[in-house]
Formats: sequence, C-alpha cells, structure tokens
Amino acid sequence: MSALHGLIGEFRESEEAAAVARELRAAGFERWDVYGPAPLEDIERATPTRRGVLITAVMFSAAVIGACWGYFLQYWDAVLAFPINVGGRPLNGWPGFVPSAWEICALFTVYFGFFAFLITCRLPRLHQPIFAAPRFERATQDRFFVCVEVADPRYDAGRIREIFARHGVIESSEVPA
Amino acid sequence: MPERAAELGYDGPVIGPEQDFSSVSSTLSDLVLERPTPRWWYVGALISGAFFVLFIIACLWTFVGGVGVWGVNIPVAWGFALANYVWWIGIASGGTFISSLFYLVGSDWRNGVNRTAETMTLFAAAAAGMMPILHLGRQGLFYWLFPYSTVMGIWPQFLSPLLWDFFALLCYILCSIVFWYIGLVPDCATLRDRATKRWQQVFYGILALGWRGSARDWHSYKAAYLIMAGIMAPMVVSVHSIVGLDFAAGLIAGWHSTQWPPYFFIGALYSGWAVVLALIIPLRRFYSLERIVTERHLDVIAKLMLATGLMLAYCYLLEAMEPFYTGDKAKVTEYLASAFGHYGATFWARNTLNIFVPQLLWLPLIRRNKIALELISIGIVAGMWIERYNFVVSALAQDYIPSKWGWFGGTFWDWAILIGSAGMAMFGFFAFIRLLPVVSMFEIREIIHKRRGREASGGGRQ
Repeated sequence: MSALHGLIGEFRESEEAAAVARELRAAGFERWDVYGPAPLEDIERATPTRRGVLITAVMFSAAVIGACWGYFLQYWDAVLAFPINVGGRPLNGWPGFVPSAWEICALFTVYFGFFAFLITCRLPRLHQPIFAAPRFERATQDRFFVCVEVADPRYDAGRIREIFARHGVIESSEVPA
Repeated sequence: MPERAAELGYDGPVIGPEQDFSSVSSTLSDLVLERPTPRWWYVGALISGAFFVLFIIACLWTFVGGVGVWGVNIPVAWGFALANYVWWIGIASGGTFISSLFYLVGSDWRNGVNRTAETMTLFAAAAAGMMPILHLGRQGLFYWLFPYSTVMGIWPQFLSPLLWDFFALLCYILCSIVFWYIGLVPDCATLRDRATKRWQQVFYGILALGWRGSARDWHSYKAAYLIMAGIMAPMVVSVHSIVGLDFAAGLIAGWHSTQWPPYFFIGALYSGWAVVLALIIPLRRFYSLERIVTERHLDVIAKLMLATGLMLAYCYLLEAMEPFYTGDKAKVTEYLASAFGHYGATFWARNTLNIFVPQLLWLPLIRRNKIALELISIGIVAGMWIERYNFVVSALAQDYIPSKWGWFGGTFWDWAILIGSAGMAMFGFFAFIRLLPVVSMFEIREIIHKRRGREASGGGRQ
C-alpha cells in the first residue's frame, strides 16, 4: 500500500461536519480536523484545542516584554547612559516614558500574535498533503471536510467511513501523503 | 456592465437573504479573478496615478530645493506638511477604529466594510508617514529619530511628544499592515482555490501562506485576531491623542491646552467615517455589490457620522470657551483672529462643512440619498483638512507678540504634495480593488451562518 495521509469525508452542511467531529472525539480519535470556509461556532465547539490559551499566553507575554523593553530603552538612555539635569527635573520622568512604552508594547503584542498564529498553524507552507483530496478547493468556499490522519492510533478506515456515512457524507476518499 | 442588483432598503437585513456561502465566494472572487478590468477602473487608476507621479515629483523637488519651496516661513514654520499629516493619520485612525472596535462589540454590519476601511487606513497611514519626513528639512537624517543612540551618539528626547509621535506612527503603521494582512489570509486561500490562471494560483497561493481552513487553525486565527483588535482600538486612540499632544506641548497661545487629544481623536473618527462612506458608495455601485454592502451599512455609518459630528461640535464649543474662561489675552486674541482674522474664511468653512451641513443627516431623506451622502462625506473630508489647516497655521501666525505676526500661504508645491498624496492613496486603493477582494469573504460567511442559525432556532427546520 502506498503512503497515506488520511481518510477524508466531504460534507455539505456545517452541522454534519460538527456532528462527525463530536462523534470522532467521543470515539477517542486524536489526529483529525474539520476544514471549512469560515470560523463557525458549532464546529469550533466540537474540535478540542488549547491554541486559544497558548496564543493568549504568547501575546500577553509579548505585551509585558514589549512594555518593559520600551520603558527600559528610554530609562537607560535618559537615566543611565546620558543623564542631563534640566532644571532639577527627575531623570526618570516616568509619565513621559509611558506613551512610547505603550506603542512598543502594542507592536510586540500584534507581531508576536501574528507569529504565534503562523507557528500554531504550521504556516507558511507552499503545499499541504490535504490539498490532494478531491474537491478540497471547496473547503475555502462552501463545503466542509473532515479528515482523520493515518497517524491516529485508532485509525480504522472501515469505522471512519461508517461514521462519515451516518452523517450524510458526499464522498469519502483516501488522501495520499 | 453587469446588471445592477436590487437594493434591500435601509431597514432591511445587513446582507441579501439569498446570499449563501457559494454566492459570496463567487461574487467577490470573480471581481478579482474573472471579470475583465472595467473601464472606470482605468480612468480612476490613470487619474490617481497621474497625481501620484505629481507627488513623487513634488517630493523630489522638496529634497532638491529644501522646504523653502513651500510657503513655510518664520513664524509659520508648520504649514501644509503638518496639516496633511494630522489629516491623513486621522483618516487612517478612523478606518482602524471601524474595523477593530466594531469587531470587539460584534456588530454584524462591520464585516461588510472592514476590508475597505483597513485598506484605506493602510494607504492613509503611508501618506501620513511621508509628511513628517518631508517636513524635517534634512530628510536624509530622519533616522536620527531612531533610538539607537548607542551606535550614533545621538540622543532622542524621550520626553517630547514629537518623539512619542515617531514611535506611535511607526508602531501603528507596522501593526496596521499585520492587522490587514492577517484578515486577508483566508480570503487569499479562497482566491487561490478558485483561480484558473497559473499566475493567479501562484500569486494568491503565496499570499495565502498555505491556509487550509482547519478548525484548529481557525481557532488560532480567531484568538490572535481578537486580541489584535483589542490592541488596535486603544492604539489608534493613543496615536491620535499623541498627535494632539504635539500641539498641546507647544507654547504657542492657540495650542497650549490640554483639550486637544480628544478633540483630535473625534475629528479623526469623523474623517475616517467620511472617507469610508465616500469610498464604498461608488464602489458598491460600480462593482454591483448592493446585496453584500447593503443600504443598512450606509445608514449605520451615516448615523455614526452624525453622532461623531455632534461630538466634534461639542469640541468646537469647548475650544471657543477655553480662551474666554481663562481670560488669557493672548489666547482670546488668537481665537478671535482664527475666527475673524486673516484665516477666518477657513474657520467658517470648517464649521459649515463639519458641523452645519452634516446636520442634514438627521433627515432620513438625506441619509437615504446616496448622492447627498457622498457629497456630505466629501465635504467632511475636505472640512477636516481645513480644520487642521486653520488650527496649525492660524495659531502660529498670531502668537503672543504682535511684532512677530506673519502670514502663510501654500505654494504650488504645497498643493502638489497635498493633492499628490491623495493621488498616492487613491492609486493604492485602485490597485487593491483590482487585486484583492473588496469585502472580507469569510466574515460575510460567518454572518450568513449566524443568520441561518437564528432562522433555524426561530422558525424551526425547513
């Protein structure tokens, strides 16, 4: 048998794909995902992931680091490296350092958020094995797909086809690796 | 010309009830992939391109001749460049605010216009970014603003709002690019998958970064986007407030006041709404998008514009009250001069265009007349520039010491930079509407899905 990526099923409605996802989850499958043209709540609820927490943590850390670095940059310049006494005003004029620190904090948050998004999605990639699935181009337009990877310890083509069929699959097919 | 779609009415739904996932995907991507370039596009791109060339020439001439080719002098050392800067960054802020704030509050109409708003932001911010650099005089040394003092031995003054402004603008432009691009990734994947020509598949394939639309990827996307929106909304408030502080920290009689940050920010939102309206009214018509960007969208933005205009009217009243409340003779003189003196015409022009005329928006009749709405919006965009001009120039022209008073008038090159920068922004916008989807497809699909969910729970399954 040639190398396989997994078994994919095509669905017309998001509810069907979500129902399949719930069933796969209940049956203990791990390496599967739902593909669709928009972020829809029912599918989201049926697909377990901790990425939201991860990305929030990354972005929050980036915000803290950005704010600290932005502040330190100014503190270092104005207090440590080149202190100038202007009319006896404090060297560490913190209210005046806040605006720039905030902008740098925002910059860090947004960019690290973008990078965290790319890394958690394993992007950018020029090719994904799943693109080989028939009519998969409609996953970004109007259809929903569920794919269980061969790498799943419980992978069993017969059983998966059965689950797909129970929820009105249009077509099940094997995706080459 | 394709047939024009029927309108839905101002009280109608936010998107045509017949629209589904496939119709949205095909309508919006065919505009880019399939449809031959319409004639109006060539006309628009050519005109704006010509002004873009004028902008380049004017910039080069400024580099060669120095800022002396402008009308700036002493006392009026801040002329068009600063008025343009404040105006452009204000327009940009308005666009980001529509996109981020109304994402956070979950308004369904936001998804029809956010792509236009963000794109306009991008080019407006680019135009804004050019102005301070041109204004520096020694443009080649602009990098002295960067805080790498360890290498250069040049020490920026971190307590100056002008330096805050540098950080604010730089960070804001960089963040806007990512905020705009991350929203495009799933739509580029749709274009990649619908494209039939090889170059389109490669071009959109690269822009789509290999996006597959997996539920877990969508999860990452939404988490990142939500927090970005939460950062961008306060960021634009800070950016434009810092622009206001540039003036507040100045010692000029007409500027030295703490009221400017909100005054500037409200003006920024106002011009942002106006530009978005002025762009989407023709765009939906020419691209026959009446069923996707509906009259509901226009109505909502027109009402927001009216509300913001009233806030701005309050700011103008406060601006008028302050000098008399403090009783400071210089402030009173400056204020009266700005209203009735050499620059009085601009004062009344701004009041007319920004406050008096937009009161027509109270009437549903006017709000529902697209030509009237377009004209009022363009009037506000112009009025906001005039406001900035009056604010910058008239305060400098009449400062504390009458012997120091002097007038400013724009030269050909001043006007060339102003109009040319508009040409640059419009040219960028034309390029965008030809190459990328003008409405965010996947966000429209979300709305369709939600509507279907409501119908299903309300009326039972069909």
